[in-house]
Amino acid sequence: MKAMAHKERIKFFFVIPGILWVLIFTIFPLLYSLRLSFFQARLGQDQTFIGMGNFQGAFSDYRFWNSLSITVFFVVVSVSLTVLLGLGLALLFNRPRRGLRFFRSSFVLPIFTAPIALGYLGLTIFHEDVGAVNVALRMLGVVNPPGWFHQVWAARLAITLVDVWQWTSFCFLVLLAGLQNLPEELYEAAQLDTSSGWGIFRHITLPLLAPVLFTVTILRLVETLKVLDIPFSMTSGGPGAATQTYSFYVYLVGLRNFNAGYASALAYILLLIMLFISSFFFNRLRAIYD
Amino acid sequence: MATKNAISSRERSERVAPNAAAIPPVAERRRKPLKITDGMIWVLIVVATLWVFFPFYWAITTSFKEHLAIVSQPGFIPWLQFRPTLLNWEREFVNRGPEIMSGLTNSGIIAIGAMIIACALGTLAGYGLARFRFHRWQNKDVTLWFLSQRFLPPMVTVIPFFLVMKFLRLLDNPIALIIANATFTMPFAVLIMRDAFKELPIELEESALVDGCSHFSAFWRIALPLAAPAIAAAAIISFAFSWNEFLFALILTYERARPMSVIIAGVEHTQGIQFEFVATRLLVAILPPALLALTVQRWIVRGLTFGAVKG
Repeated sequence: MKAMAHKERIKFFFVIPGILWVLIFTIFPLLYSLRLSFFQARLGQDQTFIGMGNFQGAFSDYRFWNSLSITVFFVVVSVSLTVLLGLGLALLFNRPRRGLRFFRSSFVLPIFTAPIALGYLGLTIFHEDVGAVNVALRMLGVVNPPGWFHQVWAARLAITLVDVWQWTSFCFLVLLAGLQNLPEELYEAAQLDTSSGWGIFRHITLPLLAPVLFTVTILRLVETLKVLDIPFSMTSGGPGAATQTYSFYVYLVGLRNFNAGYASALAYILLLIMLFISSFFFNRLRAIYD
Repeated sequence: MATKNAISSRERSERVAPNAAAIPPVAERRRKPLKITDGMIWVLIVVATLWVFFPFYWAITTSFKEHLAIVSQPGFIPWLQFRPTLLNWEREFVNRGPEIMSGLTNSGIIAIGAMIIACALGTLAGYGLARFRFHRWQNKDVTLWFLSQRFLPPMVTVIPFFLVMKFLRLLDNPIALIIANATFTMPFAVLIMRDAFKELPIELEESALVDGCSHFSAFWRIALPLAAPAIAAAAIISFAFSWNEFLFALILTYERARPMSVIIAGVEHTQGIQFEFVATRLLVAILPPALLALTVQRWIVRGLTFGAVKG
């Protein structure tokens, strides 16, 4: 009995330090910014309570809607491209093959490249006159390659492509691991019934891989919604505000214009969007960690 | 590798698809009918590898180009299209050496500090979640709560964080960034370690407890050494993410404590961006975490998916 009671107590010794740390360094900032969001507050000046004013202000702020729609474009294109490309590559390389090991190793590199550095590299790769992309396009005979930083959609595409480059390998590695964990016996049985590769993929691989696809999509979704570094370094939000993603706009409001109250309200709107999205997969995520 | 996969897939088959066991063993093992030929696959491997390496290749070749060559002879192949030069690297390390050294030192201090805190607290919490049962809040909820830190947009916390650090007089001090990054990367450490401890056979620790070992020394002497590879993976992942973090670094430092990620952001000049300068600098900045990450590949998938997918 004594041992049991001891066990009851010691278990807290293990988890409490981590919980406390995270509580102190996230809950306090979270509460403080919740408070700020109800105030007209500029950094270094007096604060006045304005209730829901900041939130109402956001809905009539065209830059808010602009950044939100850019982020939605970015998220949809980047997440679907990375997951689809990753899935394609994973299917292609899901077989014992000598080159695979080296290939897998090299695919780890993009994931750990600092996004901020990648943005600057993107700047040199997509440069209109001497960047790699346009030089290559001209070599291929394209007379008028896109002005990546002057055309609205080209710029949006450029930042998205850089993100796609960085995270395709992540999706590839995760989906490949998922494929290699699938039971081999099932495939062997399936091949007796049907010889169609598509049939096997559609009716066996895809359903079995669904949990992994789900995980990878969620993780990508959460990360891309926060995107800041790549547009920050690559386009500075330009041309105009064409690549001003949501986080970038919040950064400009809060940390360039020092409008802390409004920035906090905007950040909370993003948090609410994330909560809304995560509510859809909360139960499945909870089951994973059971 | 192939045998390992075969084993793990056999283990999994019972859990993932209970029906799989019911299917009679296949007498005749046939190769999958391949529609895609081997040659095509090799072409695709090459294309995909080029896709991965091209940006690095571009950065490396650019770093060996003279400014004039970048503007007048844009090309991809050294010696053929441009004459490589060491000038940029010389400038980077000689003229701007002190700045780079201070950036690397700061990044190192920040990343190592954050790594130590995240891994220490994360390992404890991971062990607690793997080995004990919590009642009021279930283990999975605590786990998910740790994970949810990762979902939090940093923009929500950055302003209060700045104000707190200002109040504590920790602006432009690596400690502020160590605290921030330890918080951000702790979910990785907690979830990786929880997963790793769950896989260790509990019997070893139980028999130690029977022998009169305390819970803590069972953890410290038996579980911890066995989980060493996972700790290394958690450490390197939190190191890399802390090294690469930009927003908080930008806000919380302005001079002495600037890490590499912020120093890179200073590459833009008023007369436009200088490619060769960007290239040398970002190669210096991205190499340490990328090279470290190569050493814990086996854990990358599991680590980055928070244990949800086994690599």
